[in-house]
Amino acid sequence: MAAAPKAIPEPSFRDIDRSVLRVMEPAGLAYWAWIGFCFTLVAIAAGLWARQIYSGLGVTGLRQPVMWAVYITNFVFWVGIAHSGTLISAILFLFRTKWRTAVYRAAETMTIFAVATAGLFPLIHLGRVWFFYWLLPYPNERSLQPDFRSPLVWDAFAVSTYLTISALFWTMGLIPDIANAREAATGWRKKFYTVLAMGWQGTDRQWRHYSMAYLLMAGLATPLVVSVHSVVSWDFAMAQLPGWHSTIFAPYFVAGAIFSGVAMVITLLIPMRKMLGIEDLLTEWHFDNLAKVVLLTSLVVSYSYITETFMAWYAGDPIELMTFRMRYFGPWGWMFGMMVLCNCLIPLLLFSPRIRVNMIALWVISIFVNIGMWLERFVIIAGSLRVNFEPSQWGSYHPSITEIMITVGSFAWFVGLFSLFSRFLPIFSMTELKEGIVWLRKALKMDRVKAA
Amino acid sequence: MSTIAIISSFADDTRCARAIEQLREAELGDFNTFSPIPSHKIEYAIGRSKSPVRWLVLAGGISGVLTGLAITIGTTYEWGLNAGGKPLVSWPPFIVICFELMVLLGGIFGFLGVLMLSGVPTTETAPGYDGRFGGDRFGIVVRCDEAQAERVESMLKESGAEEIVREDEAQPR
Repeated sequence: MAAAPKAIPEPSFRDIDRSVLRVMEPAGLAYWAWIGFCFTLVAIAAGLWARQIYSGLGVTGLRQPVMWAVYITNFVFWVGIAHSGTLISAILFLFRTKWRTAVYRAAETMTIFAVATAGLFPLIHLGRVWFFYWLLPYPNERSLQPDFRSPLVWDAFAVSTYLTISALFWTMGLIPDIANAREAATGWRKKFYTVLAMGWQGTDRQWRHYSMAYLLMAGLATPLVVSVHSVVSWDFAMAQLPGWHSTIFAPYFVAGAIFSGVAMVITLLIPMRKMLGIEDLLTEWHFDNLAKVVLLTSLVVSYSYITETFMAWYAGDPIELMTFRMRYFGPWGWMFGMMVLCNCLIPLLLFSPRIRVNMIALWVISIFVNIGMWLERFVIIAGSLRVNFEPSQWGSYHPSITEIMITVGSFAWFVGLFSLFSRFLPIFSMTELKEGIVWLRKALKMDRVKAA
Repeated sequence: MSTIAIISSFADDTRCARAIEQLREAELGDFNTFSPIPSHKIEYAIGRSKSPVRWLVLAGGISGVLTGLAITIGTTYEWGLNAGGKPLVSWPPFIVICFELMVLLGGIFGFLGVLMLSGVPTTETAPGYDGRFGGDRFGIVVRCDEAQAERVESMLKESGAEEIVREDEAQPR
């Protein structure tokens, strides 16, 4: 006789607290070794940046005509990664999407660290970084002000606004959870959480203002997320350069940003789910929905590639046509091929419901998407610059070790900060998981039925 | 007659909201509630008006747009550079700056507004607060005359309170 399946109790508020707070317990040696590894890479990158500041941009591979390459690619890539956080935390909040509650804090945290990483690259790219404030309007004796018609100035405003609003939105959501963590903590952690919770007690007065402000902040963050990557795309689209000068860049970049961002959420959450043992909070249902967003945005990105090519052909401009011919069949054609494979073809596997809930397959696909989206930005930025109007101006580009190690350091910086956060602050929103507990119960039931 | 506080805890927001409705109908004392989640049921039962934080966000947004206009137009006139006879104030690109500053100041006003109106940061603990109210229990603290205490307690019990405790001289916020 077959054994009856074990009945697993439905999660209660207390179970949610227990699962989330367990993640915040003191970590072992392996965790600190990982943090040490990440920040060693960051230190190496910082050292190389210091050398670059001292010696000048000659230590990079930047040469005429390719004066924007890996650093600006990294900037666009990291701003893009940030977008999924706001999509999940703000846009899906306004749509009352049920599955967002378990993933939104991790995605939002990713946003903060990704924008913080992105914000470093325009500075790293500056030859004289100590003059970075020239991008901002400030009273000066010669009445010299930034040109507000320049997309680079829009970018400075957009990215700094994005970082500030994301940080405020994230902090606001964290306050009730930290207050909850305060009650369970002991020792220095209790003091730490008591300070961060700012005396939050969950009174009806507090919740009334909180709910209204949260809704309005979500309403403000939604157009902001669309505007930020549109502004980033205009850094290119406002220029006259073939391969950049295109009206579809804003929606094309926004779709690409959400595509790469959600893929990065999957890349981070799958190993985290396994390592922290939080299968009861992050179910297959959540990953299934994240995979569907990746699939949808992959189709939008694929459509954009086709539209961009069609527009180059239909316009009939010989220089534009040459740029695209070189992009597809030139010396860097292999990058374009990789980009199509990673961004358009491999994500088609997600049409299969079985692959969407197969954690290993999903993780591998998400890595391919990350690689593909980085290459996409590189192909657009450096690829368009190297093939200019006159063949006599054409050039090439090879990244130097400084650029490569600073890029590696940026990944280490991002992953290291995320790993630190996940152990010291609630990486899942206890408040929102409790609000959507009915859906969590249903998701767990579905998982159990499938497993049976 | 001295004033006392009755602290009750509930397992869910439905029972908590029912108790609030009954207390309001009977007009028995002041009360304060604690909950681990923002509950619409409790909010409707209490029947307070919408939070004024929305006006602060609006004020922030408007001041952001005005700041954006002042910065862009002001700096353009500070050093008037005529390019091909085009108007100095070419406003379409300025929309980007105005929009970003609208969101920035709207968000900052909203965040500071919610802190200010909620009374945080604070080092004081509201009378009757229990750590469980941040976890899995909903709480009501009723401040009433001692003579009404029994009636309040029976009302809370009927509504489904799991635990009822009396405390003297508590001052709900």
